[in-house]
Parts: sequence; structure tokens; C-alpha cells
Amino acid sequence: MIIDPRTGSNPAVRFEHHPAVRGEIYRLDDRDYRESIIEEVVRRTMGDLSRGDPRMLIEETLYQERIRIRKARTSWFSSPNLASRNARDRKFIGEIQGRLKGTVGLEDNRDLLRRFTEHFAVEICGNFEPKMYDFAIRMVPWFFSWLLNAASVKRFSPFGMSESLQSRLRVVGQVEHLQRLSKKGTILLVPTHLSNIDSVLIGYVIHLMSLPPFAYGAGLNLFSNPLLSFSMSRLGAYTVDRQKSSQVYKNALKNYSTSILKRGIHSIFFPAGGRVRSGAIESHLKLGLLGTALQAQLERYQEGHPNPNIYVVPMVMNYPFVFEASSLIEDYLESAGKHRFMPNDGGEAVPFFKIMNFFWKLFSTRSEMWIRVGRPLDVFGNFVDENGISLGPNGTQIDPKRYFMTKGEVMAVPQRDREYTALLGKKISERYHAENVVLSSHLVAYSLFEALKKSYPGLDLFRFLRLSRAQRMVPAARFFEEAERSFKLVKDASDQGRLHLSNPLHCGDVKIWVEDGVRQLGLFHDAKVVKLEDGAFATDDMNLLYYYRNRLTGYGFGSDFAGDTDEKGFLV
Amino acid sequence: MKKGFWSNSRVAVLGGGSFGTVLANLAARNCSEVTLYVRAEDQARAMNSTRMNPNYVKDLVLDSKIRAVSSFEKAFERGLDLVIFALPSHATRAQAKVVAPFFKGHEIVLHATKGIEEQSLKRISQVLEEEIPILRIGAISGPNLAGEIAKSEPAATVVASKFDDVLEAGEEIFTTERFRVYTTHDLVGVEWGGTLKNIFAIASGILESKGLGWNTKSLLLSRGLAEMVRFGVAMGATPETFLGLSGMGDLIATCSSSQSRNFRVGYHLAKGETLQDVIAELGQVAEGVRTTKIVYEFARSRGVEMPITESVYRILEGEWTAEQGVSHLMTRPQVEDRWV
Repeated sequence: MIIDPRTGSNPAVRFEHHPAVRGEIYRLDDRDYRESIIEEVVRRTMGDLSRGDPRMLIEETLYQERIRIRKARTSWFSSPNLASRNARDRKFIGEIQGRLKGTVGLEDNRDLLRRFTEHFAVEICGNFEPKMYDFAIRMVPWFFSWLLNAASVKRFSPFGMSESLQSRLRVVGQVEHLQRLSKKGTILLVPTHLSNIDSVLIGYVIHLMSLPPFAYGAGLNLFSNPLLSFSMSRLGAYTVDRQKSSQVYKNALKNYSTSILKRGIHSIFFPAGGRVRSGAIESHLKLGLLGTALQAQLERYQEGHPNPNIYVVPMVMNYPFVFEASSLIEDYLESAGKHRFMPNDGGEAVPFFKIMNFFWKLFSTRSEMWIRVGRPLDVFGNFVDENGISLGPNGTQIDPKRYFMTKGEVMAVPQRDREYTALLGKKISERYHAENVVLSSHLVAYSLFEALKKSYPGLDLFRFLRLSRAQRMVPAARFFEEAERSFKLVKDASDQGRLHLSNPLHCGDVKIWVEDGVRQLGLFHDAKVVKLEDGAFATDDMNLLYYYRNRLTGYGFGSDFAGDTDEKGFLV
Repeated sequence: MKKGFWSNSRVAVLGGGSFGTVLANLAARNCSEVTLYVRAEDQARAMNSTRMNPNYVKDLVLDSKIRAVSSFEKAFERGLDLVIFALPSHATRAQAKVVAPFFKGHEIVLHATKGIEEQSLKRISQVLEEEIPILRIGAISGPNLAGEIAKSEPAATVVASKFDDVLEAGEEIFTTERFRVYTTHDLVGVEWGGTLKNIFAIASGILESKGLGWNTKSLLLSRGLAEMVRFGVAMGATPETFLGLSGMGDLIATCSSSQSRNFRVGYHLAKGETLQDVIAELGQVAEGVRTTKIVYEFARSRGVEMPITESVYRILEGEWTAEQGVSHLMTRPQVEDRWV
């Protein structure tokens, strides 16, 4: 099989070391600056909460914090980092509870609420140390190339040439557009979230694209590893603790995001709230944090900011295999049984050796990671041109400021802004599907799953997934028939601009892409997701097969109504 | 916030049919200026000089604030706050494409079209969202026979949108002492209500033509409503919406009025005329003929049970006579009197 390592990669991405690009985020290094942000977050949050009864809010927050810490005690004992965080929280809560007994006045309660807000704001607020950043961007490429060559040089480079990361990490799409916009306004990058690997990669990819560092909403699980925690918190990452569900915390988090976006600090967060459990492209996004982009832009208009625009840039990550696939799909199936989707990232720590293992497998076996930068949007979901100007559906230029006008004035209208954000969320999900790069592994899994499904038309999802080993086989001829059919679906969709195809799929030769896909799927997992045995295609693990197959749902391939489950419980 | 913003606002109505003209007249009571866009220049000129639109609404005198124009440039030249699309469903997308460049982004958009886009099955608000650079879009729908509103008989309508901004604009612009405006966030339900009732208007014409009485007609209305709810819910609407003006209300008005085109299609079909003859006679295709086909096919593929719709469909297609259609419905298996 021939893959040209250069096609598909954007020439704007340079893979050798290059100096850091400075940005607004460098100001986070200044303690006064950080304190002014915390102060702003507290002021905003107290404003948001001013209509509620402070006593009730405190009691509610205390209650939720107590439950959270009780749960945390049992699940996080393994990470000293998180344990010390929790010890700190416990002490703080004890203090507040003590004070609460003594207070009666409204002002006292407000003061306690302010302390609570401050406690959260301090926890959320990230730091940025330029020296640490310089160190990281020198070390990471060195580390990657060491790993890459250690893993693969013997096998694939017989002439002693060292392999480049470029051939493995494909950054494609609107890279130059993104670079240009980063100088015209503030970027909010919203990637899909498959794996804990994402967080490590994105930070590096941003540097590769010659962009200044981004502030980054990182789940608490990334702070469980002491090394990661140390570096992340000094590289602009702010802490997102999804276990904290109180209104006070949620408001503080949103206000932090608004505050830094408003100050022009480029930001990243995963709008789905956590890693996608089903393996599908995210179709239900969390709108709370997403709404902060709109809010920040509105306030910049109101303050007469010279570059008020915030650009929302979707990004789609694809790997031939996902190291947490088994636990993710199990989570999904468990919650699907209850018709609930529970993004709950806190409990799982990131084991360093697992990440190493992932990259080792990736580098030692000629697999590729695809990162596609999508077409930039404005905060209303309109496309944005090269100069940062919003384009209406018909391609004419429009001024997004007009969308903020109600009764002739630019102003905040919470109900309106919530609906705008819901539409933005819908648009991002649409773009995710359109920017998705279909890998051969996805299509192989899809083909086998669909072929099997046709053999057992009466079964619902849960019974289907429990097929016995002997039942999980499809004769090769039948499989290839299904593979051709599936290929036609994605090829047509690709021609219509509804998705993208990776290299082996471009050639269109069913033998080649099936072979490639089977191989990719077999690289990482102990169980064979798809295997060819005695003239039949089969799987060792139905759940994993479902997981990888799901990447091609949401396109209406199986039904007119894409994005949710059909009457038998299958994602369509 | 400016006080009395809407009373100083500028409104445009695109489409000078009967309902468009009536809406323009209502709006003129509550804003500073209304432009009424019509396609033909001589119609615009005639309306401006005679202050009448006799081809569509007899005896209605246009409010002095209304100015008829025949180009979008003129309609938008002074800037607009509210734009109302009052065009037939099949013309909406093409017109929206043409008018899209004139929008600035702050405008509120309402449409008064009772129908959906053929093939795509998209609601008119979805079509508009795809074509014009506006997100604050809503629909206005209800039992609003233009002739009666023109005579200032008491009536009411529903304005539907996800956006409160749109609901408020609708309330401010259309409320008069003889016309009430109700509001809802269930845009899906309101748009489908206005579309689906046309099917039953055809059925109602068929019953009338057969000389059937009120028991039969009420049976049609009640079970027709059940079909509307079933279909609407499958499309994402809230059942309660169909009990309101845009559902039940509009259904009763349309099915009882012998003037509606859909009603007349049913009436003539039941007399044994072919659909082609009836359409030729009416001069234009009634919205309900298209709707019936689309809805029937879609409902069947989605497993939504719509027996009355099926009968109307087969009568329109010439497969069944009116009698066969009725007896098909009367001999179905017994079911509970429920919606779902």
C-alpha cells in the first residue's frame, strides 16, 4: 500500500522547532493580572446570583460539595494530587459551615457566598509561565521524534532516514485561515473529544500551527498526574471540575471563560463536556460554556473594543484506535440503557504508561492521527471569510453586531442569547460531521457491523451485542458486498461535502482499504475488532466494533433521521 | 431600552395577496411605516393611487401608512425592523434568495405561509433560516380568513418563535382592539398545524359535496386533529399546540369555510371531476393537494398512522371514489378515542 506522507498535510504546518508566538495569554504570568481576573469572576458571579437567596445558595453549594467529596474519597485515593485538592476543599467547607452557624444577617450571608465564589474562582484560574512554555515546546518535539524513531526506524526506514512526525500527525483543513483570524480577533477552538490523548496533542498542534498558546479548559482528571498537573497549570490550562455541579461553581466557570475571552486570550474547550462515550461525532453539545463566546463579543461591542470578534473554530480529531475505547463504550451502553448520557470525566485518571503505549503503537505501526481544522464560524454560526468578516447563508457580508440589536440597541437579552447559543451548538455539530475524516478502520467496522445487523434483523441493540462468537461471522463475499455499499455511502457523502475521506479510502479499491482498516483496528486492542479467519470476517468484541462503527452515524446512512437511536436502540 | 420602539418602527410585508394585505393594514396601526411588496409594478401603482387591492381583498381601504412597492430595493431602502413573508410555500425559497442581500441582521422575520417545502419537507422557517442572514424568525398562523379580518370582525392569531424578541414584535405590531395575538415557543407545532389542516379542508369539501351532516363533519375534525397531533409530535412538536388557534382553531375555520381553495378541491372531486379539471377550474394548485401527497408518503415511511390522510390521498390520486374513501375509514378496526 502506498501512502504519500505529504498529501493531506497542510504546508502551513511546520514540524521543526520554531519559536513561541507571544499572545495575550502571556499576561497571565503577571500576578496582578490574574488577580484582576479572579476579582472580575467574583464580581460577575455575585451579580448573576444577586437575585437568589444567598443563604439558600450557600446551603445548596455546601450540600453538593459534601456529596462530591464523599464520593471522591472512595475513587481518588490513588492520586495524591487530587487527594490534597480535596483535603483543601474539605477544610474550606468545614470553615464555611462553622461560620454559617453563627451568621444571621443578609450581609453576612452575602459575604460567605462571596468567599465560596472566590474559592472556586481561585481554583479555576490558570497560570501561564513563558519559561515553562518555551521548555515544553522544545521538549515535546524532541520527545516525539525520539519515540517515533525508536519505535519505527528499523522497520520502515531501511535507508537509515529518520521518520518525521509529519507523516503521522496530519493537521489538515483551514490552518492558514485560523492563523490569519488569530491576528484579527480572539479564537475559541472547539474540538471533538475522543480520548485523553486529545488534550496532549492539541496543545502541541497549536504550537505547530504557529499560534500563540491557548487557555485551555482542562478536566480535573488531567491534573491527577503530577507531571501533567505541574505543566498544565503553568501553560494556561484552567481547571474544569465536572463533578462540581452547584450553580455557584457553574457560574464562576462560565464567568472565567467570558473574562479571558473578553481580554483576548484565545481559548479551547470541549463543547461536548467530556469524551464522547459512543464513539460517534458529538451531536449534543453543552451550551453553558459555549455561550461565553457570545457574551464576550457582546461586551466587547459595548465597550467599543477595536477587534470585538470571537471566532469559533471547530476541530475534528480522528485516530485509528482509541486507547480508552473499551471503557468508553461500556459507559455509553450502561447509560444508554437508562436513556441518559452522562459525561463524567472526573473519576478516571490518566495513566502515563498508557499514553506512552498509545504513541508507541501508533508510531511503530504506520498509523496516522488526523486533526482537521474546520471552517471558522462567528458566534452565531455564520461562516467567516479570510478577513474575519461574517458571511450570510448566501455569501454576502454581514455585520454580526446587528444580531445583538434588540429594539434598535446592542444589548444583552438572556433569552435571545440562549437561543442563539443553541443554534451555534447545532451548527458546530453539523460542522463536526462535515469536517470529519473517515478512516479505513471506521468504514471496516461499519461494514462488518451492518452486515451482521442484516443477518439478525429482529434483534435490538442489547441482544445484538450479546451474539455468541459463532454468530459473529460474515462470509467474506457477503462482507465485501456490504463494504462496497458502505463505501458508496461515504463516497457520495464526500462528493457532497458532507465528510472527508482519508488516504486509503481515496483510492477506492475495496481490497486495499479493507486490508488497511483491519490492520489498523488490530494494532492496539487485545481483542481483534475485525479479523479475517477461514474465509469469514468476524469480531472478538462486539462493543468495540459498535464503538468504531458509530463514527459513521449521524449522517443519515441508516435512516432519514440521523443523530439519535432508532426504535431498536442502535445509533443511526 | 427605547420606549415605544415598535410604534416608531418600519415594517415590510412581502407578498400582496389577501392575507399579506390584511397583515399590512393591521401593522400600519402600530408602526410608523409599512411597505407592501408586490411583484407587478402596475399592481403597486394601482394600490398606491386607489388605496385598494380589489383582486385579493374586496372593500378593504389601505391604511395611509402603507406604501406599495414592486422592488426589494425600495422596500428596504430606509431600513426595516420587521419583515413579513406572505408568499406561497413554493415561492418562498426563490424569493428569499433574491431578498437575502438586503437584510442587515437586526431585522425580525415572520412568515405567514401555511405550507411546507416540497421534497425537502422543510418548514418555511427552516427554508428562511437557510437563505437569509437572520436567526430571529417566527411564524404567524391561526384561523385568519382575510375577508373577515378586513371587516374588523373579532379574531386572533398565534405568533410562534424560539425567540422572545420575535414574539414581542408580533404582539406589538399586530394587536388591535379587534385582533388578539397569542404567543408560543412551539414553532414546529404551529407551522405543521397550519400545513396539515389543509388536508382535512379537502376532506371537509368532500363531505359537504356528499351532503353529509354535522356528525360526520365533527368526526372528521376530531379524528383529523388526532392525525395532526400524531404527525406533529413525530416532527418534534408539543401536542398542546394543536389544541390552540394554529391547530384546532385553524382546522375549524378552514374546514367550515366553503371559500377555501382546498375545500373547493374536495367539493368538486367528490362530484366526480378529475383533479386536473378541478385545478384547471381553480386556476392554481391548492396548497393542500401538494401537502397531502408529501405528508401521506412521509407518514407511511415513518409508521405514523393517518387514515384520513390516506383516504384523501387516494381520492386525489383517482384511486378511490369519495364513497370508497369514507367507507375505508368507517370499516377500520376499532380503536380507543385517543391521539397516540
